[in-house]
Amino acid sequence: MNARSAVQTRPATATSQAQASLSASVRTIGRYVLALVYVGFVLAPLLYMLSVALHDAATAGAGPILPHPVHWQTFREMWSTIPLLTYIKNSLLIAICAGAIAAILGMGCGYVVGRFRFRFREPFRIALLATYLTPGVLVLLPLYVIYVVIQRTLHVTLIGGYGIVIITYLTFALPFAIWMSSVYIASLPAELEEAALVDGATRLQALRYVVLPLALPGLVVAFIFSFLHAWNDVLFASVLTSPATRTLAVGLQYYAAQNYAFPLWNQLMGASLVSAIPAVVLFFFVQRYIVQGLAAGSLKG
Amino acid sequence: MVLRTRAAPPTVSALRQHKRPRNMGPPFLLMVPSLLLLVAIIFIPSLFALYISFTRLNQYTIAHWLNAPFVGLKNYIDGLNPSGPLGGTLLHSIRASLLFSLLTTLFITPLGVGAALLLNGSLRGQRLLRAIVLLPYIIPTFVNALVWRLIFLPHGVATRVLSALGLSTPDSYWLIGGKSFWAMIIADVWAAWPFIYLMTLAALQTISHELYDAAAIDGASGPRAFFSITLPLIWPTLSLALLLSTINHLNNFTLPFVMFGTNPPDPVNVLPLNVYIHSFVIFNFGLGAAMAVVMLIVMLLPAVLYIRATRLGEEGLA
Repeated sequence: MNARSAVQTRPATATSQAQASLSASVRTIGRYVLALVYVGFVLAPLLYMLSVALHDAATAGAGPILPHPVHWQTFREMWSTIPLLTYIKNSLLIAICAGAIAAILGMGCGYVVGRFRFRFREPFRIALLATYLTPGVLVLLPLYVIYVVIQRTLHVTLIGGYGIVIITYLTFALPFAIWMSSVYIASLPAELEEAALVDGATRLQALRYVVLPLALPGLVVAFIFSFLHAWNDVLFASVLTSPATRTLAVGLQYYAAQNYAFPLWNQLMGASLVSAIPAVVLFFFVQRYIVQGLAAGSLKG
Repeated sequence: MVLRTRAAPPTVSALRQHKRPRNMGPPFLLMVPSLLLLVAIIFIPSLFALYISFTRLNQYTIAHWLNAPFVGLKNYIDGLNPSGPLGGTLLHSIRASLLFSLLTTLFITPLGVGAALLLNGSLRGQRLLRAIVLLPYIIPTFVNALVWRLIFLPHGVATRVLSALGLSTPDSYWLIGGKSFWAMIIADVWAAWPFIYLMTLAALQTISHELYDAAAIDGASGPRAFFSITLPLIWPTLSLALLLSTINHLNNFTLPFVMFGTNPPDPVNVLPLNVYIHSFVIFNFGLGAAMAVVMLIVMLLPAVLYIRATRLGEEGLA
């Protein structure tokens, strides 16, 4: 501190002060310019997307970059070109169920892993991370074969139903939710539940009235991440859904693939914008947890 | 935190032992539903995938899947042999995947770290800026893929802008041929760099300003301060982010699938896409499984490094 104040109180000449403030303002301007470059880089494709959505079908993607005249009707037309509303309902149903199951089961398991030390804790945690890193196709392929075999053996229909898609999303969502809640619970003080136990509460009561209310944010975060994964997924849903249960992501992908040369780009971009909205809104709720979730080990605390 | 503390002084832990009610082991029952599910939908299927990779299981033999012919390493050899019937398609995909993943990570690192350094200071409108630069990372990958497919259409906006600048001919194609690889890289760089930014920013915010003040007195500022103070302090997080980014790119199926479909040009036929095509378009499950196992092996090194780094970070804090 002494050295620092000595520097600050050192007499400076007028010119060197002026030079310093000049270079400081040049640097500030430079930083704003750089920030603008970043913003331009980020927004250009998004604004182009919006612009194409506001073209009519004939000029979208090929004509002038800015729409003239603005074709607002795209946002009405797109609901009838493909069953967009059905896709959205399917996506919501599947993502909410997968997220809820993962968050609730994951909280129970995550509580044990986050709060206690036991013999197989470390191998289990490593297995969780390994699961999270396992390629989706490696899990999907054998599951698909298993589903087909069950269908043939028991003469039931699994593939194309909601249930099987939801279960398959748990392959990602459950390990993630367990990890998320274990990290969250580990960050909560254990004294409160210990006090409840000392005061004669049963383990279940302590969980219900002490742990759960405290851990609720962790539960919500695990739910949102699982929801977003299901909402954004194309891989599992493209194999496991039927036209009736198709999710929004696969619905748009399928439409774009079927009309590879000439999809109605204005409607496709309009629908894409709509499908990005839940992701953007939910993300800003959980933004501060993402680092915790992805790099839990190194940044926890 | 209390129960997690590993090396607590004996007196303290003895006190806690005393305070803690007896007969209160971990409530393992809470783990049972999750464990059963994990075994059923991940553990058993993974082993089954390994088995499938040694068989000739396809859409015809699946009716009698138990009797699917056991072919040993044939699927692996078929995929990897450049002069085999498949022309070494797996080998091409490994190369494409590694190039894609490493190049993307290489490009997004300076972009992400730069933005984090820029937005860590105090700029007016910082909150808005921070929200805006996250957008590419937040929007779903399938949306990202559709937008860039539109941008790179023949006579699309990318070609028109580039040819107006004299950088390209008006009739160049980005979605077929050699350029498709760069179209995919550009789309992915745009979408992925905010992840590095997010992680770096989090690490930067833990660095105390006094360190820089002290360094300034010693005459270190600018690049010197970055390399001798900032980089060493953010390195644990940044290296973790780079590993995770490498893994995520190796795993990225949605972007090439939505951008190029199931008949992709060779340079973008990355591992997950190739596995998907052989499994769910051609329905050659044996070959698909063999490719998926090879994909897992390719990912093993970054994955092991990631798990080690994650756990080391924890030990450091404990």
